[in-house]
Amino acid sequence: MHLCVRARMSIKFFQIVQLAYWRMGSITDDEVIRKRLLIDGDGAGDDRRINVLMKSFTKWCHSNFSPEEGFSQYQRMVTSLAQCEFSMGKTLLVYDMNLKEMENYEAIYADIEKSITSAHEKIAECKKEIQRAKRIRKNRQEYDALARVIKQHPDRHETLKQLEALDKELQQLSHIKENVEDKLELRKKQFHVLLTTIQELQQTLENDEKMESDDTQESPMENGD
Amino acid sequence: MGPVELLHMSVFSQSFSPCGRFLAAGNNYGEIAVFSLSAALSPDASQASQKPILNFTAHDGPVFSLLSTDTHLLSAGNGEISAWSWAELIKKSTKAAWTRKPSYETSLEIPEINAMIINPKDNSLIVGGGDNNIHIMDMETGIFKSVLKGHTDYIHCLCFKEREEEILSGGEDGAVRIWDSRTNRPVHCIEVFKYEECARPQFGKWISCLATDSDWMLCGGGPSLSLWHLRSMSPTSVFPLPGCQREAVFYQDLIMSVGEGPHVSHCLHGGTVKAQIPCTPSSLNTLALNLKNTEHRVMTVGGSSHQIDVFTNFSYKAFSLSF
Repeated sequence: MHLCVRARMSIKFFQIVQLAYWRMGSITDDEVIRKRLLIDGDGAGDDRRINVLMKSFTKWCHSNFSPEEGFSQYQRMVTSLAQCEFSMGKTLLVYDMNLKEMENYEAIYADIEKSITSAHEKIAECKKEIQRAKRIRKNRQEYDALARVIKQHPDRHETLKQLEALDKELQQLSHIKENVEDKLELRKKQFHVLLTTIQELQQTLENDEKMESDDTQESPMENGD
Repeated sequence: MGPVELLHMSVFSQSFSPCGRFLAAGNNYGEIAVFSLSAALSPDASQASQKPILNFTAHDGPVFSLLSTDTHLLSAGNGEISAWSWAELIKKSTKAAWTRKPSYETSLEIPEINAMIINPKDNSLIVGGGDNNIHIMDMETGIFKSVLKGHTDYIHCLCFKEREEEILSGGEDGAVRIWDSRTNRPVHCIEVFKYEECARPQFGKWISCLATDSDWMLCGGGPSLSLWHLRSMSPTSVFPLPGCQREAVFYQDLIMSVGEGPHVSHCLHGGTVKAQIPCTPSSLNTLALNLKNTEHRVMTVGGSSHQIDVFTNFSYKAFSLSF
């Protein structure tokens, strides 16, 4: 295979040189055609080998060679046949290799397709996660903002305690007020009783005095008779 | 469109088509340009695919607000709202489907309309603008059914809370008002500039951007961009962004905002600025995210330039569309 590639390359190189000459005008069309037919007339590589083999076989059959020449021709044909078989074997192996490579590539292709779809799915999931995380962040921020405002107001427990203390004080004070009022009522009543008795006593004393003065007035009137 | 006009162009509003393959942008000359995203994002995109497929003058004044419904593109300019069918726009026909005006009290000046949103529950269009009021229009009949009064200065931005069916509006008077859309009554009023941690008196008290995400609200403008917890009506985080923010959105766990300064800021809910992505316009007015279409999931920003930057990966600018 490598030999025929190299042969092909050298032929191509020769062709390019020919073409360059032709472009430069120093060689005519006919020359080029003749040269090409001479070189490439048999085809390249394996084709050429088979063609040469066929030609030499027909020549060998039809011509009259001396036994050594005939034998050497025969040897040459056998070697070229062996070369053809060798290259055929090589191409068969290459064909098998290509088939296996194709399968391998198909498998890799299927794998990659699968990983693409799974990556797509992962991307969709991650997008959903991002949305959730954004919502959560927003909620947290709103919570923080509200918490800041709430913190500015005084603590509820403290105000409740203050309220309770104030309530207690209120109760105590109203208690005391009640007591004082009761005392006041009692004293009022007692003073009332005292004053009424004093007044009554005054009345009786006055009555007594009046009665005494009436008695003394009556007795001089009796003496006058 | 001469080079001087291109230099002075500002893009005020953007909207994606319902299929997500087209982008409409409105500028200060009253023009609306429709860009084909599928052409611009395709692998064989060229310079020509970054130009609009259709560019027409929609209003006399600047197009401050664009909104897409399932079938139509609504654009708002000076006092009037026009609707264009997306199917017609894709076929390059520029005939408006309808043009309506909310009923204004004074007929002398025509106030501009700064913001439009759709209430999907009862299919109504909510607009807010220069006359300090919010007008609600029924999309099917076209009648302006109610007016929400309460703001003392013009309204910059509107937002809708789906779960509680509440409308949030932010305006030049610095107040974010929350209205119940069923009874059309004001529910809350938050004056952002009164809170020390948000207020930036050197910039003013106006609110130019609003965004909600269930219980949370983003608001910014003169005061710093801040994240509020609506149930407790308290600011939870303040973002240390230097300029005034003109538009902010919630996206997944990030907050993206654009404003003064040639960059898009990515922030976290905790109050940190995670990244600032540079872009071509020197200051940005509008940011839009195309979430309807998964293939063309892009973010586009526009501002003081005739170019609209497109971000395919939200972390860096991919290319620019230009008017």
